[in-house]
Amino acid sequence: MFYHIFKYRLKVLLRSKEMIFWTLLFPIALSIFFNLAFSGLRNQDSFNIINIAFVDNANDPNFSEAINSVSEGEDRIFNMIRTDLENAEKLLENDEISGIIVSDENITLTVNSSGINQSIIKSFIDQYKQVTSTATRILSQNPQAAADLPAEIATRISYTKSDPMGKSELDIVLNYFYALIAMTCFYGGFFGVEEINQIQANLSKRAARVNVAPIHKLKSFIYSLSASALIQLIEITVFLTFLIFVLGVKFGENMGLVILTTFIGSLTGISFGSFIGAVVKGNENTKTGVLIGVTMIGSFLSGMMFGEMKYIVQTNAPILSYLNPINLLGDAFYSLYIYDTYNRYYTNIAGLLVFTIIFSISTYLIIRRRKYASI
Amino acid sequence: MIVEVKNLVKRYGDLVAVDDLDLEVMEGEIFGLLGPNGSGKTTAINCILSLLKFDNGEIKVFGKPMSPEAYDIKKDIGIVMQEVAVFNELTVYENIDYFCGLYITDKSERKKLVEEAIAFVGLGDFKKFYPKKLSGGLLRRLNIACGISHKPKLIILDEPTVAVDPQSRNKILEGIVELNKNGATVIYTSHYMEEVEQICSRIMILDNGKVIATGTKEELKEMISLGEKITLQVFEMEDTHMNFFKTMENAVSVDYDGKFLVMKFQKGNSNLEQVLDYVKSHKINFGKIHTEMPTLNDVFLEITGKELRD
Repeated sequence: MFYHIFKYRLKVLLRSKEMIFWTLLFPIALSIFFNLAFSGLRNQDSFNIINIAFVDNANDPNFSEAINSVSEGEDRIFNMIRTDLENAEKLLENDEISGIIVSDENITLTVNSSGINQSIIKSFIDQYKQVTSTATRILSQNPQAAADLPAEIATRISYTKSDPMGKSELDIVLNYFYALIAMTCFYGGFFGVEEINQIQANLSKRAARVNVAPIHKLKSFIYSLSASALIQLIEITVFLTFLIFVLGVKFGENMGLVILTTFIGSLTGISFGSFIGAVVKGNENTKTGVLIGVTMIGSFLSGMMFGEMKYIVQTNAPILSYLNPINLLGDAFYSLYIYDTYNRYYTNIAGLLVFTIIFSISTYLIIRRRKYASI
Repeated sequence: MIVEVKNLVKRYGDLVAVDDLDLEVMEGEIFGLLGPNGSGKTTAINCILSLLKFDNGEIKVFGKPMSPEAYDIKKDIGIVMQEVAVFNELTVYENIDYFCGLYITDKSERKKLVEEAIAFVGLGDFKKFYPKKLSGGLLRRLNIACGISHKPKLIILDEPTVAVDPQSRNKILEGIVELNKNGATVIYTSHYMEEVEQICSRIMILDNGKVIATGTKEELKEMISLGEKITLQVFEMEDTHMNFFKTMENAVSVDYDGKFLVMKFQKGNSNLEQVLDYVKSHKINFGKIHTEMPTLNDVFLEITGKELRD
């Protein structure tokens, strides 16, 4: 009997285009969208050399040397063109340069828009003025310090230091993908809702037909649910493979635990869907709507749509982080990737298991009834 | 006794859906449950199947108390739901095989039964079709095949011909009679009196959850005072003629709508000869004349004061 029901449930679910769309194709499409959207965010880390024009009317050798020093070599900040003001303005108008530095009695900057490049040019000029002013003041007060001045100026002491939390570098984009995987695991809830509809005689006529057959209701439910779980696990594996090998999403070194985490998350998702299917009154569309709504809210709070939200919740309402299973799942992936130790990971997994048990027991208590008040 | 129901009461809040129902279905009969929509037919069936909780009563099937765990009883019951209950993602063959497989575990036996069910409902050319590709009538036949493929001893059909074209309806009714001839006891619910009259050996009429009458169609018609109904197509009717017909000895009612004169008489002797004699002697021009015995609708009308189709 197990094989009979299992086989036909597999056929029904695999042929259900709507189901396959929501549980596999939609997350893949969303991941591609994320990848396109966040590739720009990642590229912000790589510095682009800034094109500038330098109009040297003052013939100030110090500034000239300073600007030359940051416009030479592989690590240069600027691609600098020495030219006259008229040509410089043409270049600026044609957006070939980000700004014009004019060395006259004062050093002035001309730009035609605001942005990171313009801020960097301004910062360079400000720093030069500050150092020049400092050096002038020191020399006027203590001429003997002239010998040590270049070395003093060149020395910068940082009073903060970066200390990595674990084995990998922080990557804010990863959090979006981890929240997306968590959402996909919870979209396994579609299977849970569907299985409840197929076993509760007050929800569908097919279920009524199964209920009058000589088979134990809960056994039939478990057989069907096994088929759903298998499909969900295959789908999440396909999705993970796509993320790793096509989009290049990093998961750290412990792939075994990553896969285990997605499987646990999927089971939590299916049990969550079953719970929604059993507890929410109304037809299948209502239950699906509630499932999508709750999953989306959970995903939002775990930072899928707005990365900062995860930290806002953790700062202002930390209990909500633990009550949101989608956040627990996303955070489990993140802690696997970031931390050397597994304490935070185990806490997240324990939370997920507790949720799975709560959802499963609640579902059992609701669907164990064999007769209905109305059909 | 195949089904025995005693004092069944089912309430939905203040509404009494089934009110103290007693029902007995004998082996080998086609038992009709006739009543308008909302009369309690489907509710009674769902109680018999142990799908619904009920407030009072006792239900036995095959002589044993019925319950959700009574698998030895359930294996011999086939149910055809009022609504089509099949999987759109499975073909005709797969649907029948799936539901048959809930009763029959042996694969080779099941294959034989599924093929027989397909042949029985005439879906041999549609085995690989998905339900969405089937017409309403074919879909109903698939629904029936899913319910009867395991060769149950008791088949319950809950309004299986709703929204079905006349051709498919006849095919379904013929099939039910054949199932019965092959040994199955049938409970057939409908609000179509013609169907029930056509195939059922005994009939129970329900209204507002209560049993109005039970018996063979002849017994039911005997219960009412109405007898013959004569309809005369006539294009002109003088008052004197109308008065004559109204004052005939057994006349219950006489109505003329400008085209047809409808005369209803009490049970007893035939009145046709007297009517014809009068028409001839007074040279009344008429088109056609026919006489009929009361229908189940007349039975329902006389007992409840309303039409069965209301």
